[in-house]
Amino acid sequence: MPLMLVGLNHRTAPVEVRERLSMDERKMDEILSSLLSCGLHGVAMLSTCNRVEAILSAPNEDVIEQIVDWMADRAGAARVELEKHLYILRYGDVVKHLFRVCSGLDSMIVGEPQIGGQVRKAFQLAQDAGTLDALLTQLYEQTMRVAKRVRTETGIGEHAVSVPYAAVELAKKIFGELEGLQVLLLGAGEIGELTAEHLHGQNVKQVFVANRSYERAVELATRFEGLAVQFGSIDEHLAACDIVIASTGAPHFVVEPSQVERALATRKNRNLFLIDLSVPRNINPEIAGIEGAYLYNVDDLQHVADVNREMRQKKALQAEEIIGREVEGFRKRLVAQDAVPTILELQGRLEEIRAAELEKCLRKMGPMTAEQRAAVEMFSSQMINKILHYPILQLRDGSEEPQERESLRKTIRKIFGLRS
Amino acid sequence: MNPNLSLYFALGFYGAGTLVALLSLFTREKRLQLAGLGLMVIGFVSHTLWIGTICTLTGHAPITNLPETAAFIAWLVFVVELVLFIVYRVHAASFFVYPLVLILLSISAVVREPFAHSPKLLSRLFTAHLLFTTTGVAALLIGLAFGLLAHLQDRALKSKTRGRLWDLIPSLNVCKDVSYRALSIGFSVYTLGLVTGFLWSYKTTAGVVALRTKEVGAIVAWVLFATVLQSYISGTYRTRKTMFIGAGAFIAIVVAMLGIHHV
Repeated sequence: MPLMLVGLNHRTAPVEVRERLSMDERKMDEILSSLLSCGLHGVAMLSTCNRVEAILSAPNEDVIEQIVDWMADRAGAARVELEKHLYILRYGDVVKHLFRVCSGLDSMIVGEPQIGGQVRKAFQLAQDAGTLDALLTQLYEQTMRVAKRVRTETGIGEHAVSVPYAAVELAKKIFGELEGLQVLLLGAGEIGELTAEHLHGQNVKQVFVANRSYERAVELATRFEGLAVQFGSIDEHLAACDIVIASTGAPHFVVEPSQVERALATRKNRNLFLIDLSVPRNINPEIAGIEGAYLYNVDDLQHVADVNREMRQKKALQAEEIIGREVEGFRKRLVAQDAVPTILELQGRLEEIRAAELEKCLRKMGPMTAEQRAAVEMFSSQMINKILHYPILQLRDGSEEPQERESLRKTIRKIFGLRS
Repeated sequence: MNPNLSLYFALGFYGAGTLVALLSLFTREKRLQLAGLGLMVIGFVSHTLWIGTICTLTGHAPITNLPETAAFIAWLVFVVELVLFIVYRVHAASFFVYPLVLILLSISAVVREPFAHSPKLLSRLFTAHLLFTTTGVAALLIGLAFGLLAHLQDRALKSKTRGRLWDLIPSLNVCKDVSYRALSIGFSVYTLGLVTGFLWSYKTTAGVVALRTKEVGAIVAWVLFATVLQSYISGTYRTRKTMFIGAGAFIAIVVAMLGIHHV
C-alpha cells in the first residue's frame, strides 16, 4: 500500500507561499475529510509556520495528482507555480523524512523541541477526525518513539542556541531550578528585556526592574508582573536577587566589585549570577574573580550559544545514524506484514499437497507401526519447511523497492499456483 | 562452597561497571553510563549476599576487622550513591564513587584476616560504635565526592569552558546542597561513632584509652570534617579550600581504617 508525502517547507518555499497554505487547527477536521474524499485510505496534515505536509496512505500513486490540485486550489495558485515548491516523497523516504522532522533534524534550528509536539498534534487531529488508517497509525507511533529515542540518546535539544536561552541554561547550571529565585533587570535594552522574559517564563519568584527612567521601569515591570525599583537602590537588591541582568545604555560600569562583595557577604553561600548584555559593559569585569559571583558578558553567552550549535551539528550526525537504522527496521516490519497473507497462503497450499501425497504414500506402503508413520510424517513436514524456507525469507526481507517486492510476490504465487 | 565466592563476583561486576562508566566519560554515551550502573547494581546484589553470608557465619555485624569494615563502607557508599542517583540523576558522581567502592572492596578481597569471634566484639556498645562510624564515614565520603563535583562545576563556570563532566554534573547548588547534607548527617553519625568507640575502649581497657594510628586518624578526620562543616554553616564555604581540607580528611580516614586490624 503506497505511503506518500506531499508538502513544502522553509527551504523550498518562501513565507508568502507557506502562509497561503497554512491551515487552521480548528478547521482540520473538515480539511482532512475533504482530502480523504480524494480516494485515500488515510491522511494526516502537518501545518506549522515552517512547513505544510500531507502524509498519505493510498491504494496507488495516482492520487498524488489530485492532492497537488487540491493544494494549488487551496493556495489559490496555479498548479505549475506551486509545483516549483513542492516535494513528493514515497515509501521509505516518507518514513525517513518524518523521523527526521519529528527529531528536529529538518528544522531551521537543528534539534528544536517544538516540532515533536507539532507532529504529535497533527496525528492526533487526524486520529480525532478518523482519517488515520492502520499504516499511518503505525507510522505515527513509530515516529514518536524514534524522536524520543533520538532526543534521549543524543541529547540534541538539550543546549541553548540563542543568547537569552544560553543565559537561562547557565542560570540552571548554577541554581538548578529557577523557581523561587529573584531577578534584577538593570536598564531596558532589548536583549536584556528578552532574557528577563525567558527567565520570567521559568517561574522565577520576582523580577525587579531598575531604570534611569522610572516610568519605563514601571512599564517593564508590569510586563513581567514584577516590581519597579529606583536605580539608586541597586545595592539593596543585589543582596536579595540571585540573577542580575545589566542592559543599560550607560557608558560606564553600574555594578562594581565592592557592591558585589558586600552583597555576597550577606548571602551566606548563595551564588550570584551576573549577566552583562551591554556594550560598553555595565558590570566591572573584575567581579568575575570574586568567589561565589559568576559573570558572563554578551560575548561569553554568544560563545556558549555557538558551542552549543556546533554540538548540535555533531549530535545530528549521531541522530542520522539512529534514524537510518530505525527506518530500515520499520521498512522490514512493513514488508514482513505485507507478506503475511502470501506466506500463510503458501504454507496452506504446500500443507494441502503434503497431506494429500502423504495419504497416497501411506496407502501404498501398507500397514506401519506408529513410530514408522510418525517418521514418514516428520520427513514430509521437514521437506516442506525446507522448500518454503527461502521463498518465505525472500518475502519477509524483500527488496526496498515496492515494485520489486510486488513482482517477487507475483512470481512466487505463480510458481506455487496460488490465486493471483 | 567458598563463602567469598559472592565477594569475587561483586568485585568482578564492580570492576566491569567502573570500567564501562569511565569509558562513558570519553564516549559521552548515555547507554554506556546506564550499562555501567547496571553492572554495578549486579555487583551490589552480590556484595549484599556476601555481607549476609558473613553475618550468618560470624553471628555479628560484618565490621569487626579491616576487610569486613571496608566492604561494609563500600556497601553503604553505594547505597547512598544509588539513592542520590534516583533523586538527582547524577551520573558524574559515579566517576568517583564507583572506583572508591571498587578500591574498598578490593581491600576486602586482598587483605586476609580471620573472622573475629572475640566476646568483646559482641557487646552492644562496640556494635553501635562500628555501625555509627562506618555509616558516618560512608556519608562523609559521599559528601566529599559531591564537594569535588561542586568544585569542578565552579571551575567550569568561572573559566567559561566546559569540561567532559559539564553535562553529567548537576547544578552547582545541588552539588553543594547534597555535599552539605551528607557532611552534616555523616559528621553527626561519625561523632556518635567516636563517642561510643571511646566509651567501649574505656570500658574494655579499664580506663586506659590508647592513642594508636586508628584513634589518631579518626580524630584528625573528625577535626577536618568539623572545619568543612563550620565553613558551610558560617557562610565562608569555598569550593577550593573545602577540597583541600576534604582530601586531608580522606587521607586521615584511610589511615584510621588501616589501623582497624590493631583491635
